[in-house]
Amino acid sequence: MDVTNIARISRHDVVEGAKSIYSLILLIALWELITQAGLIHYYFLPPLSDVLIEGYELTVSGEMIQASLLTLKRAFLGLLIATVLGVPIGILIARNRFVGWFFDPIITIGYPVPIISLIPVFMLWFGIGDVSKIILVGVGTFWPIAINARNSARAVNQNLIWSARMMGTPKRNLVWKVVVPDAAPGVLTGIQIALPLSLIITFVFEMVAGGGGLGHLEIQGVRSFTSTQTYATLIAIMLIGFVLDGTLRKIRRRLLRWA
Amino acid sequence: MNEGRVIASNVEKVYRSERTPTTAIEDLSFEVGDGEFFSVVGPSGCGKSTLLYLIAGFLDVTSGMITVNDHAVEGPGTDRGVVFQDYALFPWKTVMGNVTYGLAENGVPKDERRETAQHFIDTMGLDGFEDTYPKELSGGMKQRVGLARTLAYDPKILLMDEPFGALDQPLREALQDNLLDIWRELGKTVVFITHDVEEAVYLSERVLIMTRHPGTRKQVIDIDLDRTQDREAIITSEEFTETKNEVWRSLREETKHTV
Repeated sequence: MDVTNIARISRHDVVEGAKSIYSLILLIALWELITQAGLIHYYFLPPLSDVLIEGYELTVSGEMIQASLLTLKRAFLGLLIATVLGVPIGILIARNRFVGWFFDPIITIGYPVPIISLIPVFMLWFGIGDVSKIILVGVGTFWPIAINARNSARAVNQNLIWSARMMGTPKRNLVWKVVVPDAAPGVLTGIQIALPLSLIITFVFEMVAGGGGLGHLEIQGVRSFTSTQTYATLIAIMLIGFVLDGTLRKIRRRLLRWA
Repeated sequence: MNEGRVIASNVEKVYRSERTPTTAIEDLSFEVGDGEFFSVVGPSGCGKSTLLYLIAGFLDVTSGMITVNDHAVEGPGTDRGVVFQDYALFPWKTVMGNVTYGLAENGVPKDERRETAQHFIDTMGLDGFEDTYPKELSGGMKQRVGLARTLAYDPKILLMDEPFGALDQPLREALQDNLLDIWRELGKTVVFITHDVEEAVYLSERVLIMTRHPGTRKQVIDIDLDRTQDREAIITSEEFTETKNEVWRSLREETKHTV
């Protein structure tokens, strides 16, 4: 490999990179320009530079990191409960008609309920602490996870099941040997849908009920007339969502090379 | 005594899942001898695939009986191997993983498994593709894997459901000749479903022609060809053309009603 070749590849990469982010750079520049020119009241939209400084200060003081960890803990634990319950229940619904008869109406009723509307009820029952938030995330993310698991387990090709049977797989092993691997892409899709949902539920609960976390930190900025804090938290939330989504995609590619 | 004899006596198959029961097969009897190459042709919807799945034990007969090697069929067994039209390979397993699956399910030790699988992978011209996933293979290659995995666990009877139906002419011919070589070498009984009259006559020793819905036996035609000759000599021979026309005329009487 000669040097010019490497240079050409990197120039190509730079061009491609610029294409993918130039609209964002324009928006950011516009934000800074309009706010520095004083066209918008500082409280409504402070300049990005001030927001970044506030973000830096919140980070070094440890406040932002603590809030992020708190939010992530709540979202993850809820998501974990929903996955541990939702995947096996979804697959069982598809494979066993008695389980299906039991859960199908529950899912039909439960899935369309706007989960956020349950926050007051959860505050009544479980208070405003971690447990309350984690359970709500668990309930809210259970539906997409269970439904995706159910639908993909129902869609398993009958000929694959027959193939396993003719090659000597006993009936009781079919779920492990055929249904689970064949449904895996759909199951992962459900978890990917549930991930941002788990963050949304956590943020909103924190905004409404407090108790720390990024949602709390964000709304606190509005209440104390420190909108830089609100915007700094918002940027942190966006970054977390971006990184988590990318991580799940990477895991999916690694696990489902065959799909 | 492990013989591959298949006897169907007064077989009836009624599907009751719909509101009005449909009779797919009615009063069908025939006998396939050990090591025989036996084809089944019939108009579409005559229940020829149903018949194959009854022999495989995937479906149950409504009345009558199917025996394999003098034992009534009561579910799938490793004495029979199905080759599916849609291949039905496990997409999450490599070629090697698919071909070793039946051996693993029957407790063959690991080294022996790989050795046997490699033999059939080589036989089917798949060497070099051991670590490839099915999605990366063409239709013809997939069906080679389908044959290799079935041959690997050594069923006495091959049940083939329009296995080459989705392939183009040159590929189909290549796989037909592959199959004939394997049949001669391994002495398996073959029950071969097809709607292609030429294919049925070229491959088999006897052809069962089924009536249209509900399917029953119309006629069994003996095929007497000099199989020491190559493909071109066979298909241009007078016997071949005559037999083909005989089967075609018989089949046409059935299809006429449908159009």
